Amino acid sequence: MVIKMNLKKYLTLTRAGIIESLQFRASLFVLVLGNLLYLTVVYFLWKAIYASAGTDVVNGMTFSDTLIYLVLATALFNFMEMYTVWDMGRNIQSGKIVLDLLKPMGYRSYLFWSFSGSFVVNFFGVFLPTFLVVYIVTWGAIPIGISMLYFVIAVVMAVIINYSIDFIVGTICLYTESIWGINIMKQVIVLLLSGATIPLAFFPEPFKTVAEYLPFQSIYNTPLTILLGGTGTEAVFEALGIQLFWCVALLAFSSLFWKLSLRKITVNGG
Amino acid sequence: MKKRNLGFYLRIYRKILVQDLKSKMSYRADFIISTVGMIFTNIAGFVSFWILFQNFPSINGWGYYEMLFLYGFSLVSLTPVQCLFDNNWSLRQYVYSGDFIKYCFRPINLFFYFQSEVFDIKGLGQLVFGVGTLVYAWGKIGLACTPVMIIKTVIFLITASLVMIAVQNAAAATCFWINNSFYVLDLSMRCKDFARYPITIFSPLFKFIFTFIIPVAFIAYYPSLVILRPGEAPLLSWLSPLFGCLFFWLSYKIWIFGAMKYSGTGS
Repeated sequence: MVIKMNLKKYLTLTRAGIIESLQFRASLFVLVLGNLLYLTVVYFLWKAIYASAGTDVVNGMTFSDTLIYLVLATALFNFMEMYTVWDMGRNIQSGKIVLDLLKPMGYRSYLFWSFSGSFVVNFFGVFLPTFLVVYIVTWGAIPIGISMLYFVIAVVMAVIINYSIDFIVGTICLYTESIWGINIMKQVIVLLLSGATIPLAFFPEPFKTVAEYLPFQSIYNTPLTILLGGTGTEAVFEALGIQLFWCVALLAFSSLFWKLSLRKITVNGG
Repeated sequence: MKKRNLGFYLRIYRKILVQDLKSKMSYRADFIISTVGMIFTNIAGFVSFWILFQNFPSINGWGYYEMLFLYGFSLVSLTPVQCLFDNNWSLRQYVYSGDFIKYCFRPINLFFYFQSEVFDIKGLGQLVFGVGTLVYAWGKIGLACTPVMIIKTVIFLITASLVMIAVQNAAAATCFWINNSFYVLDLSMRCKDFARYPITIFSPLFKFIFTFIIPVAFIAYYPSLVILRPGEAPLLSWLSPLFGCLFFWLSYKIWIFGAMKYSGTGS
């Protein structure tokens, strides 16, 4: 009974989020348009790059592998990026955070579930169409089978990791009162080290090893490499295990960090 | 009414600038973190560029140093838009909340007053980074260092900046017509990342789009050709100063037209 009540209050937030996102249909349209433009550029750029390379396979990735990887990385980005840091930072500056803290649920879950609505909309509005188009255009390059299931699991964990990192960075805003700088640093680091801009396979040696030891690669590189197949089942489980580790570690850390920081909170006015 | 000349506007600009800097300085931590963030962005951009060229020696006949030149060129030419026209990002909120009306009551040019209100110092870090890259690439390619070349570079850098400013103005002005214009502005800013690639890699349709509709090719490619490969530069390259002014003028007109249409929120 209690669990049912709990779920209901979270799903209400999801519903509100869906309705809110659907208010901005025009922006969804611009988002898709922007993606198409971006992907066209990526397509031509990498086509030129592969043409200049003279070989079909570079670092174990063919042109279509790279393309699928980058296209889906963009689609994943659109649906995972929740601008958490912005929201937290703004709420801290304006003092609205006090009202959110009074809500009958933890701030971390409140924030997550209020974003979950736009999650659903972006999944069906952006990610799924992109995925289907990519699947049809590169017919056969994405193997259908058990790897799809692993991919879904990896994405769920990627969402949690991404959110935890965002939440940790948002908590830092409590101390710095700077949003733009903190957010841009986070975004730059995550996009580069997660392999979202360039697949990790292309990184030269010392960099690659460093990136593999960091949690960021679990966000984009792990799900996408799993989806493209090519690695054995053992490697898949290893990657998922690493993801799980980061999931638990970051969840615990973000929760602890938030609890400690909450004592520090100072809000101007109200 | 006395005709306002350039001197008048410069004087006003200086006064507003000083006030803006004072208010920025009162948030010192934010200022420092933002500057570090900007440096981070530039370093990350450079690292991804470098990684790419670790795997592939050239792209479409363009070598590492030539691409680096394009990259540095685009960084420098993006500085003015970052430093001087950053208030465009807030235009949407001013229009939405109704605060935009305050700009309409001043007896000076509306566009000027709005843009002068914010000066973004962190863009200067990008300038230093860009100039460094440009000079490094310049030396490695072995370009001549004559006064003519330098004047040419400066003129074409200004040209490129005008184009970028134009793109941003036009994108920001969409908020006078549509509600959620953040995505339009964001999209136009993402386009600037495409500026650093030679336009020859695109198909004819996209060559056309990136030349005339979203003129990002004028941000680095066309102007750089005049300096890097004068023999190969098409007429469009030589005409790019003209296009820069034209695009800027057009965007100004769009912006003002939108502002004139603005009717307030009634509060």
